[in-house]
Amino acid sequence: MSTALQDDMFTPDVIADPYGYYGRLRDEDPVHWNETYEVWVITRHDDLVWLTRHHELFSSAVFKNDPRPAYPAIDESDLGLYEYVRNYQGDQFIQHDRPDHLEMRKVVHGYFTPKSLEEWRPFVQKAVKELLDAAERNGRMDVMRDLATPLPVMVIAQMMGVPEPDRPHIRELAEKLLYIGRGEHDRMRLLTEGMKGMIDYVSPLVDERIVNPGDDFISVLASGEKAGIFTRHQVLVNTSLLLLAGHETTINLLCNGTLSFIQHPDQWALLKKDPAGAAKLATEECLRYDSPVKSIQRIASEDVEMRGKMLKKDDRVRWFISSANRDPAMFAEPDNFDITRWPNQHVAFGSGIHHCLGATLARVEGQEVFKALAERFPGFRLDNTALEYHPSITFRSLKSLPIHWQ
Amino acid sequence: MAKKVRVRVDHNLCVGNAMCETFAPHVFRLNDDRQSEAVDADADPVEQILEAAESCPMSAILVEDAETGEQLFP
Repeated sequence: MSTALQDDMFTPDVIADPYGYYGRLRDEDPVHWNETYEVWVITRHDDLVWLTRHHELFSSAVFKNDPRPAYPAIDESDLGLYEYVRNYQGDQFIQHDRPDHLEMRKVVHGYFTPKSLEEWRPFVQKAVKELLDAAERNGRMDVMRDLATPLPVMVIAQMMGVPEPDRPHIRELAEKLLYIGRGEHDRMRLLTEGMKGMIDYVSPLVDERIVNPGDDFISVLASGEKAGIFTRHQVLVNTSLLLLAGHETTINLLCNGTLSFIQHPDQWALLKKDPAGAAKLATEECLRYDSPVKSIQRIASEDVEMRGKMLKKDDRVRWFISSANRDPAMFAEPDNFDITRWPNQHVAFGSGIHHCLGATLARVEGQEVFKALAERFPGFRLDNTALEYHPSITFRSLKSLPIHWQ
Repeated sequence: MAKKVRVRVDHNLCVGNAMCETFAPHVFRLNDDRQSEAVDADADPVEQILEAAESCPMSAILVEDAETGEQLFP
């Protein structure tokens, strides 16, 4: 008889090693009712794929359709702020179901296809080169601060036509928005500060692009307003969403991937032998092995049975990428980091109609960074330091990753 | 005579994003696993099929000229 599973997903050991905790759930109770937070925890790969592809059974409008209070609990005095968060989140296109979701996604989808994004590869290469040139002179860098954070911010800001001096401000606001996946009881304050700050920042940009559309991504969103698909508030919220989502998750891919190579010198050696040739599959394995996003939520749209358990209409259902991507039923030797793995049907970007819009952009940035690191700093080492993660159940996010090569 | 094409969906890649079904609804259909299948390559105009292939986030759709075998996408 195994010991009972504790249900607090925010404890330091679960944050440090999600693979142990969610892996154990996957093996022992793959459709698990978490009593503490009143949420179903789904941990198997096949269940995750099934669930995400049956969007008619599981709503993505997780704020609008959630009848329960915020979890973990928030200060009672912040209930008004939570309402603001619900309205803000509820206007994101990813928090819509069909048919509205399809119309919204069609507005933005064409900008992010593999073919469109291939045209951005030279810009990404140039940005990586600039950042590594600056780091080279110092002989050391914090991968988080000096590479993984500025690169995706540069790229998404360029796509959205955000002026360069404003980029640190965007990052500052983004850091507040990350409190969406955290457990602090007073998190609604920072979260709403970030949301209001984003709306204030993007409003004049949107006003301008409505009148003078260009080929940037804000103009694409603005065209959705003209077509009657988005309201103005939805354009503002989705501009903010794309600014955030366009960089936050990629930051984690770049840092977690670099760390995976540090922890597996044999795979680093393999990448170094042929950086250009190996970077593509290596990036997929980085996405699988230590995924940037740990979990995403839905709300059951009707009663649904999964593995003998009855999920009731309106129940929260949270699916864990971290455990699904280590599922032995799907991957041979799932805990091995193998940069030649193929096929590699990881679910780092989710699956189904809500599959990550920016997946290809993340891939391009990952490929270019891992290739460039292998070419330029083949002998880099991790500083002698303890690594720490932000206490989020949504993001797998290092606080810093200091390395040196001199 | 309009060009004829052969269409294949790689199920190692397909994630069921279903955009193909939106652009070429008579060619692509989701199966029981909610992965896309090309059920009839002649059922929509080639332009729509190519648009569907380009819209695939995984580049899982292969389009070939049925006569010459030339790869049209990706």
